Amino acid sequence: MEDFEQELREAFARRPAPPSLKRKLMEKRRAQRRPRPAVVWQRLAAVLALAAVLGGAMEWRHQEEERRKGEAAREQVLTALRITSHALDQVNTRLAAHDREQE
Amino acid sequence: MSHDWQPDFEQLVDEHQSMVFSLAWRMTGDRGLAEEIAQDVFMELDKHLGKIESPQHACFWLRRVTMSRSADALRRRRVRGVDLWVEMDESHGMRVEERVSPLGVRLEQLLATLPEPQRAALVLRYQEDLTPEEIAVTLAAPLATVKSHLQRGLKLLRAKAANHLKEYVRGA
Repeated sequence: MEDFEQELREAFARRPAPPSLKRKLMEKRRAQRRPRPAVVWQRLAAVLALAAVLGGAMEWRHQEEERRKGEAAREQVLTALRITSHALDQVNTRLAAHDREQE
Repeated sequence: MSHDWQPDFEQLVDEHQSMVFSLAWRMTGDRGLAEEIAQDVFMELDKHLGKIESPQHACFWLRRVTMSRSADALRRRRVRGVDLWVEMDESHGMRVEERVSPLGVRLEQLLATLPEPQRAALVLRYQEDLTPEEIAVTLAAPLATVKSHLQRGLKLLRAKAANHLKEYVRGA
């Protein structure tokens, strides 16, 4: 059996790998590490889309802030008008009372 | 275990390409497929390079993954109904000067006729010179099963060799 096992060891010795194996491997590895043009474009498009979304959000926020300020100013003007109207009503009432006393 | 060891992919390819290719070739019997498997195995190694702790670990990892990928390839071919192991001769692209001996070629052909688990055990035993315990760890199989495959495979191969290669086997 030992002779046979020795024959097997000799017969099953490692065979040299094809010379192309390492070259193909290294090329494949380089290709995998290098970003493909399609990927670069996809990344650029993603960045641009993200920038557009962020820009849009900031613009919307700015407009919303302006609108809110406008609303507050309008409310203040209306309140001032209401106060003025009330004061004028009081003056008018007093003047009317005064006129009645004169008559 | 050397903690300072840093895996170098190109160096690992240089050191182990022959082992990986030979294992895959003997398991599948297809030189082209063996080259594809070897490429896949090394690309997988590249992904896992950070987890490789030592040269021994790299060698063990490569053996284990090569055997597993070869078994997968054989399974896929069986599903497709293609019979590998047509023949292992010069038509598979091996240069004549790479041949060991006519007996070596015939023994490889006879190895091809063995069931896959026995072939795996014998290849790891006689190509890689692993002990049954190491084969069991590599194939993730029980030791008793590996010993049985080795025993039966060797017996079967010897019987086939006695029938077909009387003129070659020394002391037969």
